[in-house]
Amino acid sequence: MQLSLSEDQTQILDFIDSLTRPYATVPMHDISFALTSDELDGALVEGGFLDVMAMEELGPATAALVVERLARLPFAVEAGASALVRPLLDPELPRPLCLVEEGQLRKPVRYLKPGATVVVVGEGGVRSFTADEGLVRGAGDEVLYAYPVAYLIGLPEESAMRRYDIAPEALRTQWRTALAAEAAGLLAAALQSVTTYVSERKQFGRPIATFQALRHRLAEAQVVTNGCYWLALRAAGTGDAGDAALAALHAQEAAKRVGYDFHQFLGAMGMTLEHPLHLWTYRLKLLTAELGGRGSQAVAAADAIWDD
Amino acid sequence: MNFEWTEEQRAFRQKLVDFLAAILPDDWEEFSKHGPASPALTEFARGFCRQLAENGMLFPHWPKEIGGEGLGPWEQQILAEVMWEWGEPRGGQYMNVNWIGPTLVKYGTEAQKTKYLHKIASGEMLWCQGFSEPNSGSDLASLRTRAELEGDHYRVNGQKIWTSYAGLADTCFLLTRTSDDRKKGITILLVPMDTPGITVRQIPSLIGEGDIHEVFFDDVMVPIEQRFGEEGQAWEIIGYSLTNERLGIPRYHLARAALDRAVGMLKEAGDFSRETVKAEAARCAALCEAARTAIYAIVQKRVDGLTIGPESSSARFATVMAERAVCEFIVEYLPEALAGASAFLQMHHQRGIVAGIASGAAEIQLNIIAADVLQLPREPR
Repeated sequence: MQLSLSEDQTQILDFIDSLTRPYATVPMHDISFALTSDELDGALVEGGFLDVMAMEELGPATAALVVERLARLPFAVEAGASALVRPLLDPELPRPLCLVEEGQLRKPVRYLKPGATVVVVGEGGVRSFTADEGLVRGAGDEVLYAYPVAYLIGLPEESAMRRYDIAPEALRTQWRTALAAEAAGLLAAALQSVTTYVSERKQFGRPIATFQALRHRLAEAQVVTNGCYWLALRAAGTGDAGDAALAALHAQEAAKRVGYDFHQFLGAMGMTLEHPLHLWTYRLKLLTAELGGRGSQAVAAADAIWDD
Repeated sequence: MNFEWTEEQRAFRQKLVDFLAAILPDDWEEFSKHGPASPALTEFARGFCRQLAENGMLFPHWPKEIGGEGLGPWEQQILAEVMWEWGEPRGGQYMNVNWIGPTLVKYGTEAQKTKYLHKIASGEMLWCQGFSEPNSGSDLASLRTRAELEGDHYRVNGQKIWTSYAGLADTCFLLTRTSDDRKKGITILLVPMDTPGITVRQIPSLIGEGDIHEVFFDDVMVPIEQRFGEEGQAWEIIGYSLTNERLGIPRYHLARAALDRAVGMLKEAGDFSRETVKAEAARCAALCEAARTAIYAIVQKRVDGLTIGPESSSARFATVMAERAVCEFIVEYLPEALAGASAFLQMHHQRGIVAGIASGAAEIQLNIIAADVLQLPREPR
């Protein structure tokens, strides 16, 4: 058991912090639902931050740390699938990487666009293809999530998809870990954002953070956020199916539990696009729908832990 | 970063488990329902702790100079996990090894160390903690039990309440007020429980026999050499003690063991195939493991020699969430467990429900997290 960060890990996170500093705040007057940046994406690829999993001495726990840290940015970056899932398939697969469950094509797909690699997981195994324009339908302006999303119209012929020699459940395990790590970062950033707001906002002559009605609920949010962080890292570290399902379950539970509170504590500001809170919470919202939602994660965890 | 136990750590756990399996009586689970403070378990613990001591397993994490084996914080945690999972056969003596021993070493006079350490080390001593009073629970610093110096004795008058182990303890680690200065007016006295003027009354409880008491002090005369530390030093000393005890009892570990046991029983009854039951069990497991990892992160800080801060309150609260969920799960899906069907789950339930109350209310932990982890502006007082 050794849970402190290695020097290499500390250094990588420090590099990420300096590299992403220009993206750590929301651009003035930008009131979009989702923020993305090709420059940021390019810089992360160039720095090799999404490839740490395969590196000696670094591995999946470091990849999870990177995903968690990047999720704290107000900008949405496709990191989870690339950093934690792609190495299991082919580290050279073109990004962004979009993970899709077979039979669930009605659901919006994060980061989907022509040229993206789509990984399909289901009873038929694990396959991938490069999305072309004919298969992608844009979601237009009607999207209430802080991720860029689009829809898949269909899948290509089986013969046009690349097949991988990996069990679907093994891929889902790593997907759950990626989901958990990303959610942990989003929760941490959202909590920080709310903490700052309620410490400054005054009503009845004092910061609203001095009212115990908020303090205790924020403290509970800290407890579950901390749990999400450690469960995600453990899932990455052990690669265990049960650990991954528990991490994803706890993350989706947490997102549901605190998502409401965070906007509530901002009062009317919590209804606006002027405050950046939605850039984290409206990513969390979509993550709660991933892989069938909490119930599916819970059953998967129970099967992994207690199946004879 | 590595989330696996080393081979040595696994072997250490196995050694403890083997020892318990060999030494505990066959009807141990039934017996452990008595609770750690019961007369039966206290009596059992005297012999048990002596045997632990003889086998180097009573305080392996103590420094070698006071008889320990100098094992690290991970081993200390493993020891605590195994003991608590097995219903704490050390009874109230777990306090001795967790914090009373180390606190005696740091703050005790030579005479006090000579007097108490070897008795603790041979598994013969039971202490009680005279902290809470009827009007001083969470607000401990408001305590009013008076100790007035008269010549070479303190005259003690007052009342303590919810005191664990008081019925059978040899000595009380007693907090008294020696001046009106709130925190700096509190002084520790080590008071033999057979001193004239002490009356102990057991309070019937939901959590097992012999566990909580009222203790009355009427003109109890305590020799000055029984003072522990200086006058007014109590707050500093218990602060130190709590850093040794801050991780608390590894409740997440017994909660997880109880959950696993409950799932086993549900499977046997053919009731674990329902997805609603499975999902609820998994939610409990996630809470147990979240608490475990939060605690382990703090153990790591201890290994690294770092100061443990308010994150321990966060980990404590995570443990409360886990205990609550597991207790509720068992009641909801396995109600027979608390009505005779499982001694082990009954034992767990009686101990589990105190998680948010004993040794610092859960709401106090939330206050600490809000102020010192999240650094929210202070509440007006």
